[in-house]
Amino acid sequence: MAAALEGVSVLDLTHCIAGPYCTKLLAGFGADVLKIEPPEGEKGRRMAPFFGDEPGPDSSLPFAYLNSGKRGITLNLKSTEGRDILFSLLPEVDVLVENFSPRVLPSLGLDYETISEVAPHLVMVSISNFGQTGPYRDYKAADIVEYALGGLMYIFGAYDREPLKHAFNQAQFKAGTDAASATLMAVYHQRTTGGRGSGQGQHVDVSIQEAVASGLRDVVNNYTYTGAIRRRQPNHSGDLQRLRATADGFLLPNPGLGGGLNWDSFTEFLDLPELDDDRFRTPSARLVNAEELGRILDEYFIHQNKYERFYGSHQRRFIFGVIQSPEEVLEDPQFGHREFFANADHPVLGKVKFPGAPFKMEETPWQLGNSAPTLGQDNGKILGERLGLSLEQLGALRSQGII
Amino acid sequence: MATSAQGGKRSRGPLEGVRIIEMGQLIAIPFAMKLLADMGAQVIRLESTRRLESYRSDSVYQNEIHGEFWNRGANFYEQNRNKMGITLDLGNSDGLAILRRLIAVSDVFAENFTPRVIRNFGLEYADLRRIKPDIIMVSSTGYGFDGPWANFGATGPATEGASGLAYATGYAGGPPVMAEIPYVDYTAGEHTVFAVMTALISRLSTGRGQFIDVSQAQTAAVTIPEVLLDFAANGRAPERLGNADPTMAPHGCYPCRGEDRWIVIAVAGDDEWQGLCRVLGRADWADNPVLKDTLGRFQHRHELDRMLEEGTAPWDARELMEALQAEGVPAGVVLDSKDLLFDPHLRERRFHEVVSHHPSTKMPPLPYAGRPWKLSATPAVPPKAAPLMGEHNEFVFKDLLGMSDADVAKLEEEGVIGYAPDDPRPVQRPSLDEQVRQGRMLRYETDFQSKVAEAYPSPGE
Repeated sequence: MAAALEGVSVLDLTHCIAGPYCTKLLAGFGADVLKIEPPEGEKGRRMAPFFGDEPGPDSSLPFAYLNSGKRGITLNLKSTEGRDILFSLLPEVDVLVENFSPRVLPSLGLDYETISEVAPHLVMVSISNFGQTGPYRDYKAADIVEYALGGLMYIFGAYDREPLKHAFNQAQFKAGTDAASATLMAVYHQRTTGGRGSGQGQHVDVSIQEAVASGLRDVVNNYTYTGAIRRRQPNHSGDLQRLRATADGFLLPNPGLGGGLNWDSFTEFLDLPELDDDRFRTPSARLVNAEELGRILDEYFIHQNKYERFYGSHQRRFIFGVIQSPEEVLEDPQFGHREFFANADHPVLGKVKFPGAPFKMEETPWQLGNSAPTLGQDNGKILGERLGLSLEQLGALRSQGII
Repeated sequence: MATSAQGGKRSRGPLEGVRIIEMGQLIAIPFAMKLLADMGAQVIRLESTRRLESYRSDSVYQNEIHGEFWNRGANFYEQNRNKMGITLDLGNSDGLAILRRLIAVSDVFAENFTPRVIRNFGLEYADLRRIKPDIIMVSSTGYGFDGPWANFGATGPATEGASGLAYATGYAGGPPVMAEIPYVDYTAGEHTVFAVMTALISRLSTGRGQFIDVSQAQTAAVTIPEVLLDFAANGRAPERLGNADPTMAPHGCYPCRGEDRWIVIAVAGDDEWQGLCRVLGRADWADNPVLKDTLGRFQHRHELDRMLEEGTAPWDARELMEALQAEGVPAGVVLDSKDLLFDPHLRERRFHEVVSHHPSTKMPPLPYAGRPWKLSATPAVPPKAAPLMGEHNEFVFKDLLGMSDADVAKLEEEGVIGYAPDDPRPVQRPSLDEQVRQGRMLRYETDFQSKVAEAYPSPGE
């Protein structure tokens, strides 16, 4: 069986996280992704953490992860020759993905209108901090800025402390995932209107801010329905889904009531007769008496073992969760059974376990693919074979700083 | 770029002609199918009158919870735009048979129950393929469809915990902290949209469907290479650092003028640092040699945080953001829900979309979150509200499956289909005053309806 996205050909002008994650998802399911970097390498090669904490062009762990399964060439798009080479590649591909700030490509003469004249079938995907239009279009951002302006940060953290964000780069990963979905929607349209030869291309505008703002559950609805503005964690710990400290870590003792499970069976499972009380028996009562409930549960769980209670709860069909350290994730029997971690053999990192498939597809499984390309790794092969450039021409391009 | 569905001919979206049967609950599958419905897929959402979907019964409501409250919950509307809704009792063999007939004329079957439930109904992929050989089935479970945890029910926070994401997040020196929403349900939903699109494109060339097994915990684990790969390669587990960044400084969230107002600032380079000093009028900081480069600023990050807390406190958050961005400094107001709704940028991009509700709900048209993408040639379809319970029973059973009036009447008589839950038990939330006292809400306004209506007029106006 062919890979799911076999025959989908992608030019990848992306850097850092959101763009490379989009094209990594595509490559993982079989798209042919050609990464185009400036001759000095894209910024993502300098993203920490590094293997052995030694910076180097091929030792960034996020870069190695985000660019596996791709081929790589270098091209200076600020030069006429570099742009000409890019244009000569366009008719042969289905998709171009980029995540420059919105002014960059138009300033190089690479706006969608120009590109679509050369390749009307092309799906051009632009991922940016705030989208291609609007007053924040040219604002600068980092992941924390997207959390703030995406509305997720205000409701994240303790009610009486500064708002918080997730560690690392979640906003950019969200946008990368969304961009991969939107890319395929446009490819689907291209395919159903004639394919690479005559299908309809289009420009896809993905905003990282909107990736965050589209996943807030009832936060905005609280205002539009009741006028209330949702704050962070309440000043008590009575919510049943609240995290509790145990003797050895942290647990989420959410009973997941319903489906035949009730409060009595929960209090019996915990052996906490003091919860067998009308103040706690119904969801409405628990919301009113949340402070007292939180105190009782905190005092109880601090003496428990997290995995013992986690597994025990699931035997009774409660839906406890457990907080796992990275070491525990790597040893987790469930991730293990599903062979989640992929065994990579990377020229710099050596043999190492990479996070693997986001989901399983029975007929067309995810694949890790080759190691992230070294800088300009496929210049000769792609420019020589695909465009027919001679060794002399390649040498000249190299000495002019174009590749 | 085409701006939106408002202009010109009505868009049908790139997924016109794709039919999806959704047996979803809460977020992970409903959110994903909403995004596909937005882009033109016909999504028929299956519900039970016996077991009421939680987002119909435990939700934010406009007023007192009475009457057909299950048709007025915010959470249900938020997750189910542009879908059709039918009821079917799968405990009844006639109900199950009708579901099989629907699957036989569909492209995708999407569900997020535990494998045990799906097996009990005989709705595993092998079963479906006998009904519809090229069906695509997607199951979204907490930890995956097979393995020792396969039947463990899960919530968004639980999968956030299992993946390693929660472990890395929290205030410095404190316990892990998770988002106040089921965050990973969205991560899973986003990957599910991608998965379904991957399978649809594969089917275009092969003619074959397949089974997609989404582990919500895995979809989170693939987004944290900085945690899992750092451990796998370097043996290092992350310290919880609050809002601090492993390389940038200053990088954090600082107070501004007013109650619970904040700004975030992230300084990556020397130009940004100089811009920040100019805006705050601190030439002394700009000239301080130990703060001149990234390494120096990183080594003094705790002092920098204290300096900035003082520097930002007198400012209006939005004025400070605008001043900093004008100097090229990455900065953003920490928008609360009202700020977000009225944010000038999101309004210009028409991110929140006004949806008209069924007249029986007596609800005004209201804005809901849109999508993170705009497709120039095939924009989203015009938004339609989530279905009332059983709203599309007639259309689906008669027009789609060709049943007679008498057939449908008989189904209703036998309780296989219905228009209201058998046992409606809404969750009553505490009063808004009590929620403010508990710190769950910052405050509430009483003139919000006119403000919302003014900023977001109904599409007809």
